Amino acid sequence: MKKSDLEKLKSIVGENNVKSDPADLYIYGSDSSVHNALPWVIVRPENTEHVQKIVKFANKNKIPIIPRGGGSGMCGQTVPIHGGITLDMKLMNRILEINMPDVYCRVEPGVVDDDLNMALKPHGVFFPPTPASSRIATIGGEIGNNASGVRSVKYGATRDAVLGMKVVMANGDLVDFGAHTRVEASGYQMHKLIVGSEGTLGIVVEATLKFVPIPEFRCLGIANFDSIKDAGEAVGEIMASGANPSMLELVDSIAIKAVNKTMDLGLAEVDAALLYEADGMVVEAVDYEINKMQKICKKHNGKDLKASYDPDERAKIFMGRKKLFPALSKYDEALSSTSLADDMAVPYSKMADMAEKIHAVAKKNNIVMTAYGHCGSGCMHTKILMDTNRKDQWASAKKAITEIYEYVRSVNGTTSAEHGIGLSKAESFKIEKANSLDTLKAIKKALDPNNILNPGKMMQAPEDWVTATDLRYSVNS
Amino acid sequence: MKTKTIECKNLKKWEKTLASCIRCGYCFEHCPISKYTRWESDTPRAKIIMAHGLVSGSLEPSDYIAEKLFSCFFCKRCETACSSGVSLTDIFIDARKDLIEAGFNITGTTTLTRPDCVLCLACVRECPHEARLLVDNKIITDPVICQACGRCVEVCPTGAALNGLDFGTSKQALQHETMEYLQKSKKSKAIVFACNWSYFPDLQSSIQVAADNKTYKIIVNMCGNRLEKETLIEAFLNNASGVLVACCPDGDCEHNGNEKAKSNVQYVKNLLQSINMDPETIHLVQIEHGDKSGFQMEIDTFMEKISGNK
Repeated sequence: MKKSDLEKLKSIVGENNVKSDPADLYIYGSDSSVHNALPWVIVRPENTEHVQKIVKFANKNKIPIIPRGGGSGMCGQTVPIHGGITLDMKLMNRILEINMPDVYCRVEPGVVDDDLNMALKPHGVFFPPTPASSRIATIGGEIGNNASGVRSVKYGATRDAVLGMKVVMANGDLVDFGAHTRVEASGYQMHKLIVGSEGTLGIVVEATLKFVPIPEFRCLGIANFDSIKDAGEAVGEIMASGANPSMLELVDSIAIKAVNKTMDLGLAEVDAALLYEADGMVVEAVDYEINKMQKICKKHNGKDLKASYDPDERAKIFMGRKKLFPALSKYDEALSSTSLADDMAVPYSKMADMAEKIHAVAKKNNIVMTAYGHCGSGCMHTKILMDTNRKDQWASAKKAITEIYEYVRSVNGTTSAEHGIGLSKAESFKIEKANSLDTLKAIKKALDPNNILNPGKMMQAPEDWVTATDLRYSVNS
Repeated sequence: MKTKTIECKNLKKWEKTLASCIRCGYCFEHCPISKYTRWESDTPRAKIIMAHGLVSGSLEPSDYIAEKLFSCFFCKRCETACSSGVSLTDIFIDARKDLIEAGFNITGTTTLTRPDCVLCLACVRECPHEARLLVDNKIITDPVICQACGRCVEVCPTGAALNGLDFGTSKQALQHETMEYLQKSKKSKAIVFACNWSYFPDLQSSIQVAADNKTYKIIVNMCGNRLEKETLIEAFLNNASGVLVACCPDGDCEHNGNEKAKSNVQYVKNLLQSINMDPETIHLVQIEHGDKSGFQMEIDTFMEKISGNK
């Protein structure tokens, strides 16, 4: 980046909001994914006007611009594959309005999910997507990736909770998409399009979100299974039965071991466990749902069934699931947990096969893989545990991922349920969306003709994720 | 790009651990330094990334990097948040050792001594970490050991012991934040000083524009050691309706800061009493680590009590 460009950016946001030391570039060059590529500069806008000026400048000079929230993305969405300006949105962190009569709130993109929920709690409501990373994930990042989490089975993903937004487009114009009302029939639902676009179509500077009442009663149950196939089949039948869980999570034996090891939760070390939750305003309704799910679990050889309304017990079990991703790092001292092929979705009837497929592929390729996730919403998570120093392990991981995605597509599943595409999943995404890629490219071209907004992601990403960027690990040859 | 490297004799053993950090960012939440600067480069995760960069040779050591790695208050909240069990502060200490061996002489948050030090040795006796040393008739700080708790600064009779970078936790910064809040409106308000271990029950990284009519503000003072008498008195001089001080339970504070806080709160209580002010308007609570709801309950009880006292 030219010195004059740096000066221009400083003149927009002030010297204190621009960083370009090599250490800063290195830090902002990675996220929670396996990728690493350096931006040219990091800029922190404090307000919408700053964003507009920065985008206009970048557009005029054809400089890539990558919005970034908490940097907790798992697929390299904020890794600047073509360099450019990383736009750190965390200073735009104001909760602007909590409007109880009209049941919406307005927030800036840098607001952290947990903070929003803490502000909403006194009003008896919550913002439902609940990703596991809610303590760090910003609303802007959640919008970019259409984040969801354990409660999405009942309450939906971020896209379902967004009513409208203010967006700075690639030419620097500020536009309003959506509305402040619960329904809107007119025109293209641009705010829904922006959700999940990974910063490639515009930069969200304000979001209008709906919230839902915090239920009076929550009951969380556990069922253990000696066979992951049984657990997967129970998930399928629960969802097909018309049950309405507020959480339905599957964890496999590797995930259970990892959580026990780091959190000391004392979960029974079985082949698989299902966590199922129901919530509501009337205890009888919650009991009805829990009983229904337990009956189905029993039918599929579920054992050690228990359920609790006790907040401490529920919090302990929920915390274990919430911290599962980092806990996987402790599964084996020699192995690191990597975010690869980590959130595919498959039809309910294929959930059991999917879990078994993951374990079979891992065995075949001599790596360790977990199967867990928000199975109630069709999402299966995996993590690949491997010795990241070994080049051959990366080759095995690549083979395993290709096989897994082939299976996912063969059963009409989808590449990403909630973490997005970024760089890591572009290969499968492009195969899956082959006949609509031209449409996606045309939309991108229309809204960002100079291709400055987070270029090189999703349909533009390189085919091979291993060589798309440097890996953030030290890999021996 | 080939970078200049240093011999990471001490960091080298953490190579596997540095790879096992999955960079979830859970450590951001309560780090007082990154919360103050609001830069990702100041988060514990960033320090781990820099350490990884130094060990792998992909990052060239610099004063800038050294300053970041020498900046830590050792509250270890990052370690508590880390489910991967990464010993972050041990890694920071080893990074410091390697950087010192490579010739970097950086203060960061560690303490300094002004030339007008009278060598009374009060700081040497006071330092719980034995980081203040008398060497060649000068007081120096061992920057590897110093945990920036501030006891030496508090005890120094001449003001010669100074904090390096304070990230908003110095006496001046705390007083400024206190005054700014109390002077903003004429409504009577209270201050809650919270040790960073108190897991204060408030928004961490966001701002609520139309905050519900809270009549108190939580100000993080890092450790009881940093809460000097003047800071407590300053709040009352600016018409605070009350001051609540939260610190660790007995035996939990690694710097004995809770003892210092108790003593200072008692001093101010006595002072208030001596000038016919209600001594109950200052109160100290000891909060178990992680007890957010207990802390909120203490705040609510205190606020109710002082509003009833009016």
